[in-house]
Amino acid sequence: MNGGEERPRVGVTGEDSEALARFLREVRQGVEAGVDPVTAAGDAAGSLPSVVRNAIETILRRLRGEYSEDEWGFDEDFAEAVFPLFRFLYEVWWRVDVTGVRNVPAHGRGLLVANHAGSLFPFDASMMTMAVMREHPLPRWPRFMVLDWAFVLPFLSSFMRRVGGVPASPHNATALLERDELVMVFPEGVKGTGKPFSERYRLQRFGRGGFVEVALRTRSPIVPVAVVGSEEIYPKLADSPALARAIGAPFLPITPTFPLLGPLGLVPLPSKWRIEFCEEIDISEHPPEAADDRGLVFDISEQVRETIQAKIYENLVARGGAFI
Amino acid sequence: MTGGRRVAITGISGHWGGELASLLARDERVEYVVGIDTRPPPGDLGDVDFIEADLRSAVISRLLPPTEIDTLVHCGILWYPEPGKPTRSLHDFNVIGTLQLLAACERTPTIDRVVMRGSAAIYGCEGAAPLFFTEELAGNMPLRTRFQRDVSELEGYFENFSRRHPQISSCMLRFQPEVGADLDAPMVRYLSLPAVPTQLGYDPRLQLLDADDATSALEAAVWSDIRGPVNIAPSGAVSLSRILRMGGRPSIPIPHPLFGPAVERFGAGFGAGPLVNDAVRLLRFGRGVDNARMRREMGFEPKRDAVEAVRELMRRLDGRRVGPPLHPGALLGRLAGSGR
Repeated sequence: MNGGEERPRVGVTGEDSEALARFLREVRQGVEAGVDPVTAAGDAAGSLPSVVRNAIETILRRLRGEYSEDEWGFDEDFAEAVFPLFRFLYEVWWRVDVTGVRNVPAHGRGLLVANHAGSLFPFDASMMTMAVMREHPLPRWPRFMVLDWAFVLPFLSSFMRRVGGVPASPHNATALLERDELVMVFPEGVKGTGKPFSERYRLQRFGRGGFVEVALRTRSPIVPVAVVGSEEIYPKLADSPALARAIGAPFLPITPTFPLLGPLGLVPLPSKWRIEFCEEIDISEHPPEAADDRGLVFDISEQVRETIQAKIYENLVARGGAFI
Repeated sequence: MTGGRRVAITGISGHWGGELASLLARDERVEYVVGIDTRPPPGDLGDVDFIEADLRSAVISRLLPPTEIDTLVHCGILWYPEPGKPTRSLHDFNVIGTLQLLAACERTPTIDRVVMRGSAAIYGCEGAAPLFFTEELAGNMPLRTRFQRDVSELEGYFENFSRRHPQISSCMLRFQPEVGADLDAPMVRYLSLPAVPTQLGYDPRLQLLDADDATSALEAAVWSDIRGPVNIAPSGAVSLSRILRMGGRPSIPIPHPLFGPAVERFGAGFGAGPLVNDAVRLLRFGRGVDNARMRREMGFEPKRDAVEAVRELMRRLDGRRVGPPLHPGALLGRLAGSGR
C-alpha cells in the first residue's frame, strides 16, 4: 500500500481570492489579445496561489490514475474526500462521545467487534472509523466487514470498497488481519440491524463465532466495542418481506419517516451517540489450532458478547435521553 | 531419459501455444517439440513438428502415442474465439477437446508431466466473492456464464485424471485475463478504445496479467514439478476506473443490461469487436486471486504487478491511439501548464 502521501489542503483566504481575481483578469487580457482561452489560462496559471496550484495538481494526479488505491480497493484519497460529510454527522448530528479509544491497537493487527444497529443504513462502522481517525493519538483507517448484498448493488458497492469495506467473509477478514490491518466486524449481522425498535440494545446471537476463529487463527487481539445511539437513527417499526424479496434485500424496514417521506425518510434521526472501546481480550495464550475447538470458540464469543452488552447498558445510563 | 524432453503442445496456432513452442524449440533441454491444432501455425516457430488434428474427435488417441512425448501442454482452453474456432463451438473445443486429450494421455505411457492452461473463471464473478481466491476456494461461488461452467466441468475431468494417474505429475494453471500491446484479444481491444464503455455504478477490481509474464509462467510450469491447481496472476489488483485514468481514456457509463450490445456496436467502429459474455460479467464484478502458491511453490515471480502491467499496456497502446486525447486530465493538464 502506498498510502500516507502528503496531500495539499485547500482553503480560500482573503489573499487567495485576490490572487484568483488577478488570475481571471490575466485570462481575460489574454483572450482579448487574441489567445485561445485554454492557452491564456495556462499562461495565467503562474499567478495562482500555491494552494490552488497544489489542488489542481492533486486533481491531475488522480486523473492520471496515480493515487493510493490498494489491492483491496480502499482509496485513501476518496475516503478523505468524503470525510467532511461524516465529520458533520459525527460532531454535529450525533454528537458522538468516545471513551477508551486508546484500547485500539496503534499498529499491527486487531479485531474490533461491535454491536450492529441502524436498520436502513447502519452508520456504526463509519462512526467507529471517525472515532479512531479523530480521537486516537495514532489515527489509522480501519477496514470493515459489510453485508454481502451491498456488493451486488451499483454505486454502493464501489463506494463501500473505496472507503475500506469488504464483503463479510472469514477469508477476507483473515487475509486483512494477516496484512496487519485493523478490522471491524459486526457478528450480529443482519439479525442486529433487522431487529424491531422494541428490541433495541438487546444483543442478538453472535453468528457461529466465526470472528473468534479468525482471531485465533491470525493471533489477533479482540477489542469489544459498545455503540449506543445507532438504534435510534432509523427506528424499525415494521417490515415489508414481500418488497424485500422483490429487490433481493435481506429485509426492508419501515421507519416513522421511511418510506412515508420518500427520500427525506433516508435522513437519519439525530440521536445522541456514545462509543466505548473496551479493554482488549487477550487470546494469545491459545495456539492458532485452538480455532477448531468449538467449546473455546463459543466461550470467547460469549465473553465478548457479555462485555459489549454490559457496556451498552452502562453507556445507555450515562447518555440519558436518546435525542438531547 | 537419454536426450531432452519430448513435448507436445495443443493449440499451437493460438498465441500461447505458439509462444511456448518457439521458446521450447530453442531450449537445449528439449529434444523434440510437436504442435497439435486444427490449422498450421501462422508464423515460423523454429524446429517444431506439426500434427493437424481436431481435439474434439477421438483421432487424437491414435496420433498422440506414436510421438512418444513425455510432456503435454494443453493450450486449447479458449476464453474467446480464434480463427477457425467460432464462439458457438468454444464449448466443444474446451470441454470435449480436453476430455479427448486426457483420454489420449491415458493411452500414451511415456507421459510423465501434464500442464493444463486453464482459467481463473472457475471462481466465478460475484460482487460478494472473497477479494483474493485461494486455490481451494473453487466451487464456492455460483457459476453463471458458459465459460465458467465449461472450466468447472473440464477441471472435474482433470481432477479425475490426476487422481487415477498419480505417477503423472499434472497441474492446472488458472490464468487471470492477459493483456499486452501485441496480444490480439478482446480485452486488449476493449481497453484500446478511445473512450471506453463501463457499467454504470460498478467499478470492478481486475488483475490483468502481462502477456510476457503469462508466457514465462507457462514455461515455468513445464519445468516445475507442481501438482494440482495454481493461480497465475500478478500481485495486487487495480480498479477499472483507475486503469482508464492511467490510460487517459474517458469512460462512458452505460446501464449494465445494455453494456454488452453497446461495446459491440461502439467497438465495431474501431475494429474492436464484441466481448464474450464472461468478460462482460468480469467487467461488472471483477475478480481477484491469491498468487502465493505460484510464487512460493512454483517459484515463479511475475515481472510486473497488476499496476505495472496496466501501465506498460497503456504506454504501448498510446502509440496507436485513435483520435485526440479526450480525457479531462489531458485538458486540465494544459490548463495548469503542467500538461503531458
